[in-house]
Amino acid sequence: MEDVTYSETQDDLSRLLKENAAAERQPIYPLGGGTAWQYGYPRTAPGKTVSLTEINQTIDYPARDMTVTVEAGIRMCELGNLLASENQRLPIDIPHADQSTLGGVIATNWSGSRRFGCGSMRDYLIGVTAVDASGRFFHAGGRVVKNVAGYDLCKLLVGSLGTLGVITEATLKLRPIPESTAVLWSSFESYEALDHALDRLTLSQARPVALDIFDSVAAGDVNSAMPIDLPADRPVLCVGVEGIAREVDWQVSTLEGELARNSVKEVVTCRNDRADSLWQSMTNYVTNVESPLVFRANLLPSKTIPFINEACASGFSIQSHAGNGIVLGHFRHELPSADEVMSILSKLRETAVQASGNLTVLSCPDDWKSSLELFGEPTDAWPLMKKIKANLDPHGLLNPGRFFDGNMPSEITGQH
Amino acid sequence: MTSQHTSRPTGAVSQELIDRFRDLLGEDGLLYEPEELVVYECDGYVVEKKAPDVVLFPTSADQIVEIVNICNEFDVPFVPRGAGTSLAGGCLPVGGGVMIALTRMRRILDVNIRDRYAIVEPGLVNAHLTQHLKGSGYHYAPDPSSQGACTIGGNVATNSGGPHTLKYGVTVNHVLGLEAVMPDGSIVQFGGPTEDNPGYDLPGLFVGSEGTFGICTKVFVRITRDPAAYRTLLGVFETVGDATHSISKIIGAGIVPAALELMDQGIIEALEAAFQFGFPLDAGAVLLIEVDGLESAVDEEAEEIVELCNESGAREVRRANSPEERQLLWKCRKQAFGAIGRLSPSYCTQDGVVPRTQLPEILDFIADCGTRHDLRIVNVFHAGDGNIHPIMLFDERDTEQIGRVLAASDEILSKCLELGGSVTGEHGIGVEKIDFMNKLFTEDDLEVMSKVRDAFNPERLCSPSKMLPTAGACGTEQIERTHPGRRAAL
Ligand SMILES: Cc1cc2nc3c(=O)[nH]c(=O)nc-3n(C[C@H](O)[C@H](O)[C@H](O)COP(=O)(O)OP(=O)(O)OC[C@H]3O[C@@H](n4cnc5c(N)ncnc54)[C@H](O)[C@@H]3O)c2cc1C
Repeated sequence: MEDVTYSETQDDLSRLLKENAAAERQPIYPLGGGTAWQYGYPRTAPGKTVSLTEINQTIDYPARDMTVTVEAGIRMCELGNLLASENQRLPIDIPHADQSTLGGVIATNWSGSRRFGCGSMRDYLIGVTAVDASGRFFHAGGRVVKNVAGYDLCKLLVGSLGTLGVITEATLKLRPIPESTAVLWSSFESYEALDHALDRLTLSQARPVALDIFDSVAAGDVNSAMPIDLPADRPVLCVGVEGIAREVDWQVSTLEGELARNSVKEVVTCRNDRADSLWQSMTNYVTNVESPLVFRANLLPSKTIPFINEACASGFSIQSHAGNGIVLGHFRHELPSADEVMSILSKLRETAVQASGNLTVLSCPDDWKSSLELFGEPTDAWPLMKKIKANLDPHGLLNPGRFFDGNMPSEITGQH
Repeated sequence: MTSQHTSRPTGAVSQELIDRFRDLLGEDGLLYEPEELVVYECDGYVVEKKAPDVVLFPTSADQIVEIVNICNEFDVPFVPRGAGTSLAGGCLPVGGGVMIALTRMRRILDVNIRDRYAIVEPGLVNAHLTQHLKGSGYHYAPDPSSQGACTIGGNVATNSGGPHTLKYGVTVNHVLGLEAVMPDGSIVQFGGPTEDNPGYDLPGLFVGSEGTFGICTKVFVRITRDPAAYRTLLGVFETVGDATHSISKIIGAGIVPAALELMDQGIIEALEAAFQFGFPLDAGAVLLIEVDGLESAVDEEAEEIVELCNESGAREVRRANSPEERQLLWKCRKQAFGAIGRLSPSYCTQDGVVPRTQLPEILDFIADCGTRHDLRIVNVFHAGDGNIHPIMLFDERDTEQIGRVLAASDEILSKCLELGGSVTGEHGIGVEKIDFMNKLFTEDDLEVMSKVRDAFNPERLCSPSKMLPTAGACGTEQIERTHPGRRAAL
């Protein structure tokens, strides 16, 4: 990575972008904690890498309103500590929280296991300030939890990968930290049995906040990272619950009963420290595993099991947020040729598309990226997205070519 | 490109155009006689009135494509309309033209419990979806007070909230994807039944765009597991101040009730006259509080709330003892607007938001404002969210009173901004609050929003003059407020 410029204030950043727009018009590559640096197409042109990590002040934390306004460069763990001091949290599970920044999490729309019960960034970002490529600040939303004035650019910026504006400040809606938590796990002889259990959980008397699956390889990885003996030869389902103590107790005993009615090998309940370490494994797994090729698929929850089966057979280890149809795959072998990888990925992608979803490549060797469609099968909404990008960043200065449009065939972009 | 905010003159509706629409939709698919059009001259915001030249009733997205193509060919503006319950004039056909009524597209196309979604047409009435889902263990969470009439397409366009928004979130939190006919006549699907589709979150952006991004023709909504149990409480307080104090305490204690609604003495009086529920007429305010969730949790939460209310000086906290009593309490709340007719010939409801800790301040201000302008103002609102709905009572035959109502509205909304809030929590900008946009946002903000709109609606034929202020406007573009809305919502 070349030289990084550290802007110290939002105004510095705005000035830098203004000067750039007026003079050399170099591409701008915003950088947060650098944890998702691999994500997206590589740069095709040299430019300025601008770090946000020093733009990290807390602007306002009216805890009794359950909102917080902070600058985007704040590290997630620091934000977490700040909120915990008032017994509150942003219930989005972020790996590498010591490094990753809020702005980066917003720009990549990262989320984890609790999204089943708690939602994702789009449900928490209620106000935003960003700087566009010309150095101009723009805002949307506000500091109140309910607000329909103006277009909801918060939604537009979540997951925009720094291509529409550099996010400098955010207001978040918060939740209280629940009094108690538990994670139950069960392993299954077959994926059919697991699928059946998931189907029944749709009408569970409990209200889980997480429904995660680890395949046998991933279960083995989790084991080696923490003192819990998940079986490493069959798939494991983890069910997380949270709430007041009595409610968690009740859910645990209810789920113990419900899970046991399936053909499970066992039902194990983790409380206290053991629950905490299992939550942590669920959160950090995606970045803890060394792998040359990582994907995320999004599909209908009811179609995740056949997809997981197929991905495991192709050499991937799997963690899935099964209640949301999100599947994370890590390739666990020496990489075969690029052609072979492409054929594996395109088969998986086709399965995902058949299941109303798509498949995004999160990381792979840089020199392969130009021949892979990292952000999946184009849809008929892409030209409109291109138009939004062109209208907001007419000179294509913000993270040019790094997002979904980086590899777009010309018949879709309309450019020749 | 010229200035972002200028608009242009558009074509008129001709006989030829009407004939084309008749060919497309048949005689019963359109209205164009002046006396038939009167119904469509306004929505729940009755200050501005303008009848469209023709109202069309398509039954499919393909027909809407044809309609939009014809409008483009003739350079005629078009505006979508659901049930017309909007309170901000979103349905006003500024500049005339074509109104596309979605009420004949009201099918439920799919319900999938395992994958927790439903696909519906935009004209489906909100409550009909939840009725349809009854017994499945799932429901559609957004519950605007108008849910017996308003459409899901209209909810999508305005990003509607409701009493249970506090815990469950507003419409956008429950929309996974949608299909829309774009202002250029193309059909596009954003998102779908799955989450996290690659690219920008266009469903998220479209929700709340108030008809200015295109005509929504299909909605993929998230359905939510039913709560297993409810506890519904009625906290009775001597003063509004005591009631707002306990709201701060409840939220501060980390309890997120499913709903937390405040009704002051003025509204209690009207409700009691209408429903004879047994509300205490001498109380300064009551809080309608509901907790929901698991049976094992609701009692403890309810107990804690009772304690917090008592600490703030509640006179008493009553409980709904049966599902029927709970239903009746909610009926009172959701039909509160109907009861206001008993207090005054006309009324105007405002929709503002403040940080919830500022509720005492804004309510004091509202009371003051009423005194200063010699107006009676009553309150019934989504207190847990800080979303106020002061209702100003007046007589619309008295123009001098109307002037005072308008002045008081503006002052209250400005105060919301001063306290760090917003001028609309759920009713939208529409035409009503367009003048506030440049108080809420900078010129740069508005420019960016305008560029986003241009990506969808570059010709501005679709819902012109809504949401964003139009600089240099003339003629029909200039929205003048003559007198404030009478009906309106809570
Ligand atoms: C008694 C009463 C109580 C109310 N309570 C609440 C409440 O609790 N919470 C709340 O949020 N609101 C409330 N409202 C306001 C109103 O009901 C909501 O804004 C509702 O979402 C409007 O739905 P509708 O079908 O009537 O839409 P309409 O009024 O017909 O249209 C509203 C806007 O949506 C656009 N639109 C409609 N259909 C489409 C479509 N298919 N595609 C694109 N754009 C479209 C229109 O152009 C217009 O801009 C209340 C109103 C009343 C009268």
